[in-house]
Amino acid sequence: MSGITPDISDFATKDNQIGHEELTFGKWLGNIGHAVRTCFKGLMITGRYIVAVKPVTIEYPEVREELPSNSRSRLFNDVDNCISCLQCAASCPVDCIYITATRRDKEAPKLKTDDGTPIKLDLNQYTIDTALCCYCGLCTTVCPTECLTHTVDYEFAQYTLSEMKYDYLAEDIRAWKHRVVK
Amino acid sequence: MIEINGKEISDLTDLQDEKMKSDLLTLNMGPQHPATHGVLRVEIKTDSEVIAEAKPYLGYLHRCFEKHAESIDYRGIVPFVDRMDYLGAMGMEWGYAVTVEEMLGTEVPRRAQYIRTIVGELQRIASHLLFYGVYAIDLGAFSPFLYAFEEREKILRFFEEMSGARLLYNYIWIGGVWNDITDDQLVRISKFIENLDEELKKFHALVGENKIFIGRTANVATVSEEMAYSFGATGPVLRGSGVDWDLRKKRPYGIYEELDFDVHVGKGEKGTVGDCWDRYQVRVLEMHESIKILRQCLDGIEEGSIMGKVPKVLKVPEGEIYMRTECPRGELGYHLVSDGGKTPYRLKVKSSCFTHVSMLPALAPGQLIADFVATIGSIDIVLGEVDR
Amino acid sequence: MLNEIATFLNGAVNGAEANAHLAEVGHGCVTVDASKLFGCAKALKESQEFDMNVLQVISGVDFPERIEVCYMLASFTKNTEFILKVKLPKTTPDAVPVIESVCSLWLSADFLERETYDMVGVRFLNHPDHRRILCPEDWEGYPLRRDYKVQETWNGLTVNPEEKVNNGDHFFFKDIIEKMGDEKKKVTFSWKGDDEEDEKAKAKETQA
Repeated sequence: MSGITPDISDFATKDNQIGHEELTFGKWLGNIGHAVRTCFKGLMITGRYIVAVKPVTIEYPEVREELPSNSRSRLFNDVDNCISCLQCAASCPVDCIYITATRRDKEAPKLKTDDGTPIKLDLNQYTIDTALCCYCGLCTTVCPTECLTHTVDYEFAQYTLSEMKYDYLAEDIRAWKHRVVK
Repeated sequence: MIEINGKEISDLTDLQDEKMKSDLLTLNMGPQHPATHGVLRVEIKTDSEVIAEAKPYLGYLHRCFEKHAESIDYRGIVPFVDRMDYLGAMGMEWGYAVTVEEMLGTEVPRRAQYIRTIVGELQRIASHLLFYGVYAIDLGAFSPFLYAFEEREKILRFFEEMSGARLLYNYIWIGGVWNDITDDQLVRISKFIENLDEELKKFHALVGENKIFIGRTANVATVSEEMAYSFGATGPVLRGSGVDWDLRKKRPYGIYEELDFDVHVGKGEKGTVGDCWDRYQVRVLEMHESIKILRQCLDGIEEGSIMGKVPKVLKVPEGEIYMRTECPRGELGYHLVSDGGKTPYRLKVKSSCFTHVSMLPALAPGQLIADFVATIGSIDIVLGEVDR
Repeated sequence: MLNEIATFLNGAVNGAEANAHLAEVGHGCVTVDASKLFGCAKALKESQEFDMNVLQVISGVDFPERIEVCYMLASFTKNTEFILKVKLPKTTPDAVPVIESVCSLWLSADFLERETYDMVGVRFLNHPDHRRILCPEDWEGYPLRRDYKVQETWNGLTVNPEEKVNNGDHFFFKDIIEKMGDEKKKVTFSWKGDDEEDEKAKAKETQA
C-alpha cells in the first residue's frame, strides 16, 4: 500500500518529539516543580493587578477623552476666508475635495480675507467627501490662508454614505466656526 | 464489477486502496481567523491533528499600492505607504523617505535625523509589544495582551501629540519630519522608557519563562541558517536562527553609526537554535536595545531645523535605486524607477512578511495544528505588508 | 564592484554578454542575456568570491517595447548587494515573455516569481507552482502593465460599478442644487448633542 496512501510515519512529528533523552522519575518531578514555580511567579504578577492597580478604562460616553490639539480629525473650512486657489484639491492623494469657483467681475465690491489676501474668485461649491478622505493633513499644510484646518471632533459617524459628503457652504456647517479649536 | 470515479474495481483490495486515498482532511484556516494576524488563508491537509501540507493563499488585502503609486506625486505617496504595514508605519515612511532622498541627494538636518530615530525606535517598541501581547493570546494566555497594549497606548499617545494621528502618521516627509518635538515631550518620553524598562522584565517573567509557554514554543518550527538564507528571511526571523545580521549595523542609515547598541541572536537556550522561543526572545531583547538607543538620542538631540531643502515641485532625476531599511518585521526594500517626472515610473516594495509567509509550506509538515498557530505567530506577519 | 561581477560572468558563463551599467544617480546594474540567466545566477551563487546566497526581490518593470526583470541579489556573508537585470523584448503589446525560473537555486524565488507573473506577465519555465498569487486565479490581464484596462465583469459581478466610482462629484452636485432650490437648506447634520450647542451659540450671537 505504500505509494498510494500517505504513511503516517512519513510526516510524524519531527519537531516536538520528546524522545531525545530518557525521562526519569527525578526529571519528571523536576519538570513539575519548574512548572509550579514559573506559574506561581506569573500568578503573583497578575494577582497584583487585582488589588494594587487602578483601572485604566475610560468610561465612554460619560467621560470623553481630550485629544491633543493637533490631532487630525474632522476637517473644517472657513469658506469666508477661502481664495479658491485649488491647492488643497491638487495635493489631495485620494481626490476627495471638489471645488467649483467662478471669477468675480471687475465691478463687484472688493473682498479680502482676514489676513489681507484679496479674493479674486467666488466659491460656488466646496465639498469634501469625508468618507474618502484619508485624514493625512496634506491639504491643510498647503492652504495659504489657513482656512482649511483639522478639528478635534471625532464623533461624526452617519448612517448613509451620501451624508458623509460635507458641503461647506451650507448654513449648518458654517455654524461650527465657534467650535474650531486652534 | 463496480465503478468508482470512472475506474472499474475488480476485487476488494483495490476498493480498500481507493477508500484509503481520502485519508487526509482538507481544512481552511480561513481568511477570518483570530490567529492568522489578518486575512491569510492557509489550506491545510491534515490527518487528525498532524499537518501533511499547508498552502497559503494571499491577496485578500491586495489594494494595488504599486499601481496607485504611479499616478500620485512623491509627497502624496507617504500616506499610502504607511497603510501597508499599519502596525509599524514609521518604519515604512522612513524607508520611503530614505529612498527618495538618496535619489535627490538632499541632506537631512541633524535634528530631523534624531527625531526620526526616536520615532522609529518608539515604533519598534510598539510593534514588538503588540507581537508580545498577540503571541501570548494566540497561545491562550489572555492577561499579557492588555498589559502590552497599555504600554503601547502610551506610545500611541506620544505619536498623536507629535504627528496628529495614532496609527497612520504621515509624519516622516521627504527631507525631514513634519512637526517639531518639544522639550516637555522629550522629558515625558524619557520618564516613559525608564518605567518601561522595569515593566518589560515583569512581562518576560510572566510569559517567556513560563514552562507552559516554553513547552509550546521550544523546538517548534526550527529554521536553520541555510534555510533562512535560501528563503530570504530577514529581521528577527533571521536573527533567531543565530545569524548576526542587522541592517542598522551592517549598512547604517541615518545616525545609527554613532549610536551604541548590541544585536541579539537566538542561542537555543530553551530548545534548538532557530525555534519559536528564540524568535520571541530576540524581539523581547530588541525592545531593551531600543530603550538604550532612545536614551542616547534623548541625551544627544541637537537644535536646528527639521526640514531640509526640497524643491516645491518634486521631480526625481532619471534612474533607479534599491534601498533597504530595518523595520520591526524585517528588511524593507524600495525599488524606485524614475523617468524624471512628478510621479514614480515604478515603485516596488519588498516586504519581509511576504518572504516569511513563503516559509510556511516548508515548516508545516509534521506539526500539530496547535504548533502551526505558534509558527504563524512567531514570524509576526501583517497582511497589509504581505498583500500591499 | 559591478565591473568585477561583469568580468566574472563573462568568464564563467559562455555567451553571457554581461555589461555593467554604472549610474550617477541611484544604483547601477549588471545586465545579462536572457537565455543565460540561470547559468549566471548559478555561477554567482556558487562562487567563493561573491557568494550571493540571498535573492531579495524580483521586480518587473514594464516599458513600451520590453519588460525588464530585476533580480536583487545579496550576499549576507560578504555584505554586498547588486541588481542583476534581464531585458525581455515584447513582440506584441500583449505578449507574455518567457524566462527560466531560479527556484532551484533560491527558495524565495517561488513566491517572488509568482508575483511577477501575476502583476507584470512574465512566464517562468520549470516553476513548481505557476499560478497567480495576489489576484484571483481566473483574473485576466496583468495589472502593472502600462496599457492595462480592468475587465468589465468577473464571475458575473461588475468590477467597477458606476455608482461606487469616485467621478468627481458631478452627480452629487446636481442633486444638491435640485434639493436646495433657492434657499440653502440643511444638507448635512451632525451628532445630536452638537445641534443643541449650535442653536445655543446662534442664540447668543443674535442676542449680542
